[in-house]
Amino acid sequence: MNLIEPANPPSRKAPLVWAIGAAIPWLLLAAGQLVWFALDQRLLWVHTLAAAATALGIVLFVVVVPLWRYRVHRWDIGPNAVYTRTGWLVQERRIAPISRVQTVDTERGPLDQLFGLANVTVTTASSAGAVRIVALDAHVADRVVAQLTDIAALGGEDAT
Amino acid sequence: MTVEAGQAWQRLSPRMLLVHPVHELLRQIPVLIGSLVLGSATGNPMWALFGLALIVGYGLARWFTTSYRIGADEVQLRTGVLQRKVLSVPRNRIRSVSTDARLLHRLLGLTVLRVSTGQEARGDAAFALDAVQAGQVPRLRRILLADSLAPSEQEAWTTARELARWQPSWLRYSPLSFTGLAMIAAAVGLVYQAGAGVALQNSGFAQSGLNAAERFGVGASVVVAVVVVLVASVVLSVLRSLVTYGNLVLVRRDVAGNNDGVLHLEHGLLRVREHTFDMRRLRGGTLREPLLVRLFGGARLDAVMTGVDGAGEASLLLPPCPRATAESVLSELIARPDAVTGPLRAHGAAATRRRWTRALALPAVLLVAMVAWYSWAPVWLWPMWSVLTVCCALLAVDRSRALGHRVDAEWLVARAGSLDRRRDCIAAAGIIGWTVRQTLLQRRAGVATLIAATAAGVKSYRVIDVPAELAWTIAGSASPWVADSDWARTQ
Repeated sequence: MNLIEPANPPSRKAPLVWAIGAAIPWLLLAAGQLVWFALDQRLLWVHTLAAAATALGIVLFVVVVPLWRYRVHRWDIGPNAVYTRTGWLVQERRIAPISRVQTVDTERGPLDQLFGLANVTVTTASSAGAVRIVALDAHVADRVVAQLTDIAALGGEDAT
Repeated sequence: MTVEAGQAWQRLSPRMLLVHPVHELLRQIPVLIGSLVLGSATGNPMWALFGLALIVGYGLARWFTTSYRIGADEVQLRTGVLQRKVLSVPRNRIRSVSTDARLLHRLLGLTVLRVSTGQEARGDAAFALDAVQAGQVPRLRRILLADSLAPSEQEAWTTARELARWQPSWLRYSPLSFTGLAMIAAAVGLVYQAGAGVALQNSGFAQSGLNAAERFGVGASVVVAVVVVLVASVVLSVLRSLVTYGNLVLVRRDVAGNNDGVLHLEHGLLRVREHTFDMRRLRGGTLREPLLVRLFGGARLDAVMTGVDGAGEASLLLPPCPRATAESVLSELIARPDAVTGPLRAHGAAATRRRWTRALALPAVLLVAMVAWYSWAPVWLWPMWSVLTVCCALLAVDRSRALGHRVDAEWLVARAGSLDRRRDCIAAAGIIGWTVRQTLLQRRAGVATLIAATAAGVKSYRVIDVPAELAWTIAGSASPWVADSDWARTQ
């Protein structure tokens, strides 16, 4: 038996938001290096090395990783389970039964609010079983939450 | 036993009027020393007396300000001398009741009673009655567990079956633990922290030791010191094991006409500890075989329960004991001997290869380094390297032989590890989520780590490096909701 991949991709804006989120600390680092270079130009080879490392990091984490994650991230909600695929280097597929869902949370960071995205976290009684659907369009997230709470309300059993 | 036992607020045992001040004195030793210093510095001994009175008064006040109530729906505990606090626990949330009596408590016939719920309660949030009279404990235990257990309140425990009892022969597994070494290290650390180290260096004892070392030579002295420490560590380990687990008894009590009962664990010669577990919360068990215990045919047993912390003291059912004992107890508890002792399905060549590459990575790096700096590497490094490599290879063999799983509609069994081998037996009904995780290397090797999430024990149980195409099959066989989901496809 095998599980096919979940069907739905995250919002199309997701890679952009991830890229901006990753770019902020890297650009701060680059700015710091520029200041350092302006103040002290003696060890030129150290500056070159640091600049190369930063450039590599920016290319990897601002360009490659967001696109890679966008290709991997998928989510789906069935009549009795919620199923996601996440990650890039380490990839995870996680499934949890909706009958055992305890809470459904929506969370929006500053960048998410700017771009109209939302993250949905579905928790169960196990700390290892929480399912996170990240970077959804806000209206999709609202629909997901409504759908999940609707189905979860039907199950009345003890969720442990 | 009725609820009339406690509609009103009740106080703890009056004997705590003796215990609290002593405990406070021990806890406030720095304050006491401070007031002594202040007293002698100002030439006014009243300062010391004042400090003492304050501490004792605080200890006494703790008794007067602590009370508990067992109501119809919840139990409540009011505490706090300066900052009042009320802790309420719904009675139907009580999962286990444990008791604990340290030496001072035992001398006065007192016992600390702790109530554990499904929630994670840490530190202040834990519900503990410190302390009640030992004679009241069975009654309180019955009242507290009544709501979640007894079908009717009049019913008594009908059958009590002893599952295991401590044997002196169990002591043979304890010399090999590191507890003795840890205790010695802690003692040495304490001595130095107290500033006694300097005094010790100048003492006659240390001088005579140094003189002896000069007479016998450095090599002999080091050997003697190592032997002394090892012997002391073995003696301490055995003693600690005896004092902690001597007289351990594990009993299962069933209620008439009801399959569920409680599991009752009692141990400790000086400090007596008792745990009562609700059997309906049992989701399996973990057989743990640390390498040194396994070499002598031993194993230890942990319970996997909801509402009971999965690691450490709280979940312990059996300390290192003969493997057969641990296996028979677990078989008895989960009523499935094949899950406990049955053969496992191995994980195949890719998983074995991964164990080997990991174990041999360190020797390989060392070898490259030694060849690169060939002229600097001393000759004795080469035999050391060979020994290390052989050890790593043995580890790889043992780790790959350990890997295995077994699954059916009711139980998931997973085994892994060498230095700390564990066989987790998890009830399929308790699994509330599955994760299939693959790193880049795992994807290339065609294996995956399957993680079963439960609300019990350590919350996540791993089946390491199963062939990728098997991962969802395992999940599907244990959980019908995976096999019946919209995404399931038979290949």
